[in-house]
Amino acid sequence: MAETRENIEAQAREGAPQAVAEASPEAVSEAVPFEISVLPLQNTTLFPETVVPLAVGRPRSVAAVESALATPEKLLACISARSEQVTGQDATPADLYSVGTLVMVKRMQRIEEGLHLIIQGTERVRVLEWTQEQPFLRARVQTLPPLKVVDGEVVEATKRNLQSLIQQALAMLPQVPPEVRAAVMTADDPVRLAYFLASVLNLGVEQEQKMLEAQTVDELVLLAHNYLAHELEIMQIRSRIATEAQSEMDKAQRDYILRQQMKAIQKELGDDEGGERAEAELLRERLSTADLPDEVRTEAERELKRMERLPAAAPDYHVIRTWLEFVLELPWRKSTEDKLDLKEARRILDEDHYGLEDIKERILEHLAVIKLRPDAKSPILCFVGPPGVGKTSLGRSIARALGRQFERFSLGGVRDEAELRGHRRTYIGALPGRIVQSIRRAGVNNPVMMLDEIDKLGADYRGDPSAALLEILDPQQNNTFRDHYLDLPFDLSKVFFIATANQLGPIPPPLRDRMEIIQLAGYSDQEKLHIARQYLIPRQIQENGLQPHQFEITDAAVMLIATRYTREAGVRQMERTIGSVIRKAALRIAQGEAEQVSVDASDMKEYLGAPRFYPEEARKELPAGVATGMAWTEMGGQVLFIEATLLPGGGGFTITGQLGEVMQESARAARSYLWSHAAEFGIDPEMFKGYGVHLHVPAGAIPKDGPSAGVTITSALASLYTGRRVRPDTAMTGEITLSGLVFPVGGIKEKVLAAHRAGIRRIILPARNEADVEDIPEDVRRELEIVLVARIGEVLDAALEKLVANPPPPIPEATRAERPAAQTEPEVIRVREA
Amino acid sequence: MANSVERYFRLLHGERRMRPGTRAWCPAADIYRTTDGWIVKVDLAGVRPDELEITVKGATLQLSGCRRDTFYGEGVSYHQLEITYSRFERTLRFPCPIEGASVARDYRDGLLILHLRSEENCEERMDDQD
Repeated sequence: MAETRENIEAQAREGAPQAVAEASPEAVSEAVPFEISVLPLQNTTLFPETVVPLAVGRPRSVAAVESALATPEKLLACISARSEQVTGQDATPADLYSVGTLVMVKRMQRIEEGLHLIIQGTERVRVLEWTQEQPFLRARVQTLPPLKVVDGEVVEATKRNLQSLIQQALAMLPQVPPEVRAAVMTADDPVRLAYFLASVLNLGVEQEQKMLEAQTVDELVLLAHNYLAHELEIMQIRSRIATEAQSEMDKAQRDYILRQQMKAIQKELGDDEGGERAEAELLRERLSTADLPDEVRTEAERELKRMERLPAAAPDYHVIRTWLEFVLELPWRKSTEDKLDLKEARRILDEDHYGLEDIKERILEHLAVIKLRPDAKSPILCFVGPPGVGKTSLGRSIARALGRQFERFSLGGVRDEAELRGHRRTYIGALPGRIVQSIRRAGVNNPVMMLDEIDKLGADYRGDPSAALLEILDPQQNNTFRDHYLDLPFDLSKVFFIATANQLGPIPPPLRDRMEIIQLAGYSDQEKLHIARQYLIPRQIQENGLQPHQFEITDAAVMLIATRYTREAGVRQMERTIGSVIRKAALRIAQGEAEQVSVDASDMKEYLGAPRFYPEEARKELPAGVATGMAWTEMGGQVLFIEATLLPGGGGFTITGQLGEVMQESARAARSYLWSHAAEFGIDPEMFKGYGVHLHVPAGAIPKDGPSAGVTITSALASLYTGRRVRPDTAMTGEITLSGLVFPVGGIKEKVLAAHRAGIRRIILPARNEADVEDIPEDVRRELEIVLVARIGEVLDAALEKLVANPPPPIPEATRAERPAAQTEPEVIRVREA
Repeated sequence: MANSVERYFRLLHGERRMRPGTRAWCPAADIYRTTDGWIVKVDLAGVRPDELEITVKGATLQLSGCRRDTFYGEGVSYHQLEITYSRFERTLRFPCPIEGASVARDYRDGLLILHLRSEENCEERMDDQD
């Protein structure tokens, strides 16, 4: 390009001395120095082969550019100022480096404050000498030769490392457009890549200048690599710091975003009416309309406020919400009105249950009290009786008669106090107790609440549920019953509690004390017949799909079922048996064998097979030493025989038959009494010494206990010692004392009914059980002779035959004494009732 | 560095962008194919013919030279500059060797037009290259 230089020189000669530019960028070997305008750069360095926008405002710089523009090629040299040069002052040649870049001005536009340029670096120049400082800098420069490669392999390796570094850097800069990535990654000229990085990296003038002054490609690329590695490290550290600092905030933000999304999803699904806010609003609205006692309202509002402050994700939020909903659902003041029509109530009770006069009376009395005094406390009843006598259904019937809601739950096996009273809310999965839950189910605060199987409550280290019941069942305390979960007082005093139990024994005395105990004895056969006629047969006919006219059964057949096919105090078994008879009839009808089926006692074998039970019949003849007693069992009453026999030459008193301690003691008391009053009863006192006695009570496998066999044992022993037989038509019960008194016992009705079933027609009862005689159904009572006794003497008079049937064996010689008078008494008096 | 790179890319998207360049500027060129060779049209006004150098080597055609401004001197100053002066260089690549082709140059309305006539038909080679 000699022409170029010549031209410039020519122009310079022609009178444009400032435009002299002597350079041929391609003059590699012999670079001819030339003079050129210099644009000093601050804080930046311009590299060859880069295009850069530049704003020029300083008058001296503008002048330099102007001078360059007034040359044919628009070239000028950009030389950086050293970093220590004070910003804001014009740079002197001393401030400037000696190596810079030759640039061409590609674009220029004037703006108010100066010039906007786009310049392109072409090659490096070295300042040989400064030729001018004012009005702008000029210098004689010489282009530097292109960089040489010393070791191509090193350059290539360094370049590749550089590219991998760039890749890492770009990975951390996702906003860089892909085409730029591609351009950078595929750049094959290491020099251009290094210059590009240098211009981009913002390394600072010093380092940039070092790169610009690099002598070889090797040096340049290595510098670029080192700087980039350094920058990358800083970038990574920065990013790590930023990540750490932001991670907390990010989590909160993430939660927030997720929650917003969930809300949006819920909204889309339509199962949300505006999110948690609306939920709280909804609760507030319900709270404002709910009929709550003041104390409850205050507490509920407080909890609601607390809930509103919590995020929906907080565990407490749901606890409070569930609690609030529960509180709002409870019938704090809602109650049903009692039906106070006594006649109607009576009708309903009669409709549901046969007999049970006592209980019906009690219910009606209560209704009467409520009628007179509406705020009267509800009674707490406890029905005690054998299974199947209708305790539970009676509760239901009471609720119906009163027009109240009925709720029942079984306490059988409940051993945790928390079952009844709830868990405190602090526990996870806490629930209200059964009592409060039942109230909620009932929806009113005065239901009839049946606590079934109260005698089967358990108790262990977790607590004693019966202790919780003490509060619940105390009318004085239960108006402020506090469930642990609810933690608010709830008035249970309007609840009509009915407990049921099979036995009174296991119920703790304090609990027993709080309830009005109503005994439901078993039903007599006659009552069972009525019950079957009125309730069981119609119900079974309906349940088995027959029409009432299609099935008939005679009373005799029903009686047979009651006595020979079932043995129970209640009627559950009997209902099932009737049901199976009816099913067999239904089969015949369904098969078209008959239109209508009638069943009589004679058909029973065909329907039910052989009778399963043979009632403990009264024995026709009792030997001396055997007496008929009566026992009470959960299944009702039973007749039992007490047998005693003399053991000649033996000694002592043997008692067998699984007798409990109380019964054994009463046997000893009986013997001692007879011994001490031997003369009175005409017994040879030597008999007690000369013979051993064995007392046995069958059935030997069944444990027996209680004092009520006292009179029976006495009778048996007296019979044994005197040889006078006990009347076989007579059964007896009663406790004895050592002084000869007869004390009352329980279970009279069941015992008498059982005896009656067994064919006994004469009953000896303690005088003080006279009141219980009233309980015995009229029809049974009519057939019985009941002898009331107060002392043992009277028992023996009534029980023993006057005639000595089997004289006792002779007393061993050693202890022989005179015979008692009674033994020789020949009189025979036998009274037999029709 | 992140900042500087961002700044760089911000510039790229703006009116004034910095980007890797070359040591000289590149004139724009169109290439036409004709039945007997090629026509190359280059946007290269204001270049004195004697300052334009054309080199043909293998399948490449290199144009280089220098555009000089002559409108300067006393009483004239630039208000706006959009034409790039100084050295330019353009290397055009052809699908087949053009060495030996006759090159006729012509200036028409400020555009440099080169006619390359070559005996060698490079149809087949082109196909091969595709």
